[in-house]
Amino acid sequence: MRSEAQTTALSGTDRWLLGRITAAWGLLTGRPVSLYAVSVLRIGYGLLYLIFLLREFPHRDEIWGPGSPWTPALAHQLFEQTGWFSILALSDSRTYFELCYGLALVTSALFMLGWRTRVMSVLFAVVVTSFHGRAIFMTDGGDNLILLMALYLVLTACGRRWSLDARRYRLKAVRAGNTTEPTRSLFAQQLRDARTTLITVVHNCGMFVIAAQVCFLYGSAGLYKVQGASWGSGTAFHYVLNLELFRPWPALSHFVDEHTLLVAIAGYLTVLLQVAFPFVLFGRLKYPVLTMLLGMHIGIAVLMGLPLFSGAMIVADAVFLPDRFYTFLPHLCRRAARRTGSRRPAPGRAAGSGTVPAQGGPGALGPKQRVVLPAGRKDTTLATEPPSARVPPKTS
Amino acid sequence: MSSGIDAADVEEIQQSDSGPATQECPDAMAAPSGLPRGARARKAGLYTAVVLCLAVSVVHVILVFLHVAPANTVSRRYSPLINAWVYPFFEQNWRLFAPDPESVNRKILARTAHTGSGGSVQVSPWFDLTAVDRSAVEHQVFPSHTAQNMLRRAWAGYVDSHGGDDESRTERALMMQKYLSNIAADRVAAHNGGTFDFVQLRVVTVSVAAPGTRVGSRPSTPVESRLLPWWKVTRHAK
Repeated sequence: MRSEAQTTALSGTDRWLLGRITAAWGLLTGRPVSLYAVSVLRIGYGLLYLIFLLREFPHRDEIWGPGSPWTPALAHQLFEQTGWFSILALSDSRTYFELCYGLALVTSALFMLGWRTRVMSVLFAVVVTSFHGRAIFMTDGGDNLILLMALYLVLTACGRRWSLDARRYRLKAVRAGNTTEPTRSLFAQQLRDARTTLITVVHNCGMFVIAAQVCFLYGSAGLYKVQGASWGSGTAFHYVLNLELFRPWPALSHFVDEHTLLVAIAGYLTVLLQVAFPFVLFGRLKYPVLTMLLGMHIGIAVLMGLPLFSGAMIVADAVFLPDRFYTFLPHLCRRAARRTGSRRPAPGRAAGSGTVPAQGGPGALGPKQRVVLPAGRKDTTLATEPPSARVPPKTS
Repeated sequence: MSSGIDAADVEEIQQSDSGPATQECPDAMAAPSGLPRGARARKAGLYTAVVLCLAVSVVHVILVFLHVAPANTVSRRYSPLINAWVYPFFEQNWRLFAPDPESVNRKILARTAHTGSGGSVQVSPWFDLTAVDRSAVEHQVFPSHTAQNMLRRAWAGYVDSHGGDDESRTERALMMQKYLSNIAADRVAAHNGGTFDFVQLRVVTVSVAAPGTRVGSRPSTPVESRLLPWWKVTRHAK
C-alpha cells in the first residue's frame, strides 16, 4: 500500500527509471537468455579444438610436448614471470604429456557433446588454458579467441540445448511421467530457487561478457585498420594476398590479386563491416552483416589457410543469432529435405523430420515465451532481436 | 511441458516474477508479510550476489575494452589496474593486419658449425627454414601452426625483445634467443642429421611489390639481410 502511494507520488522520470530498473532486473534474473546460441558456441569451440588437436597430432610433441623448442624449462620460466597456469608444466615426462593430450581430446569431445556440461566446461577451460600457455609463441588470433570463449563458457549454461545432458533430462522427465514431485521443505525449496536464480544471473552475465567481447574484437580490429594507409588506399588485401605463409593456393591468391577493383572493395567492406558491427546488432541489419562476415571468414579460411581462426570467428558471430532463428532451423531443414525428397524420396525426409522433435525446441517454445513476456518486457536482449524483426531473409 | 529443461525454465521464470516486486519495495515486503529472518537474510544474500555478478561483468568489460582500445588517456592513467586484471588470461590483441598488413616476406636461413677433433671448423651451407614452412603450407587446407606460426612468431618475439642489435639484455631477450636457436637447431638436425656445436641465422627481408607492378616482371629486391651471431647449441651436440 505504502509503496503504491510512493509510486504515484514519484515524478515521471523516477517512475520511468524504476520501470527500467525493474525490467533490467527481470531480464537479468528472469531466464537464461540465448540458450541455443550458447549451445552452438559449446559445440563449435569443442569441435574446433578437437579438430585442431587432431590436426596437430603429428606435431604434438613439437608444439606442446617435452621435445618442443620452447623447452619445458623456458615454459616454466615464462609461467613464473606471467603467472600462467598449465597442467602441462606439472611434469616433463613424455608419458604424462601423452596422457594430457588424450585427456584434451576426450574433454573436447565430451564438451562438444554436452555430457555433464558444467564439469566438462571447467575441464575444457583448463585444457585450453594449459595447451595455449604451453605454446604461447605459436598461437594466433583464433587460438586467443578460443581461449577467451572457453573461459567465458564456464559461466554459462551451455548444455541446456542440443546436448546429451538435455537428452538425459528429457528421458528422465518422460520416465518420471505423472508422478508428483516429493514435497520439499520450504527451506530446501528456497535454497533451490536461489540457486536457480544465481545460475541464471551468472549465465546472463556470461552472455553479456561474450557479446561485448565479440563487439570489442570487431570494433578494435576496425578502428586499428582505419588508422592504416593501405586500408585507406584499398591496397591492404594486395599485401595480405602476397604473404607467403598465408597463401596455400598461390594461383588462387594471384588470381584474386589481379582484380584490383575487387581487392579495393573487399578492403573497404572489411573495415566498414568491422567498425559497424557493434552498431547493427540490435536491428534487422544484423542478418546481412552477419552473412557478409560469414562470407569474409570463409574467404579468409580458404585464401589464407586459416580455417581455425575463421571457424572461431564464425562460431563467435553465431552468438548474435536469436533462439528464434535456431528453433526455426529444423523447419528449414525439413523444408529443404522435403524439397530434395520430392526428387529423391524417403531417406532425406525421414532424417529431416526425425531431428525435429528430438530438439524439443519449437513445440516447447510457444508456452514458454508466453510465460516470459511479463518479466522480460520489451527485451532487447544481447542476442535476441527486437520483437518486430523476422527470422532469416532467405526463407521463402 | 515436453521436457525437463523447459520445466526448469518455467521455475526460473516464476522465481523471477517475485524478484522485481520485492526489488521495488523491499521494506513494504519485509514488514507486514513478516518473512522469517532467515529468509530475509537469504534474499539479501541473493541480491548481493546478483549485484556482485553484474558489477564484476561490467568492470571486466570496461577493463577489457581499455586493454584492446588504442592507448588513450584513460587507459594510460589506469594501466596498472588494467594490466593486473587482464594479464595473463584475458590478454588479447585484435590488430589483425592493422594498422597495415605486413608488406614483406621474411626468409630465415640457418647454417651450423661443427668443431672437428683436430680443431678444424666445418661450416654447413645455408639451409632455408622458411622454404620448408612455405612448402608445408602450400596446397594444405589446414596448415599446421608449426609452419605458419612457429618460426614467424619466434622471430617477431626476438625482434621485439632485441630491437636492432643482437645482444640479449633482458631475461625475455635471452629466452627468445634460446627459443629461436632451438627451432633452428631442431630443423637443421631433422634435415641434415649429424651433430654440430654452433648455429647461425640469416634473415632476408623481401618487400612485396606495390600493386600494379606485374609479378615477375621486376625482381623483388631484398631490403635487408641481417646476419645473426653464432650461437652455441647443446641440443644436437655430441
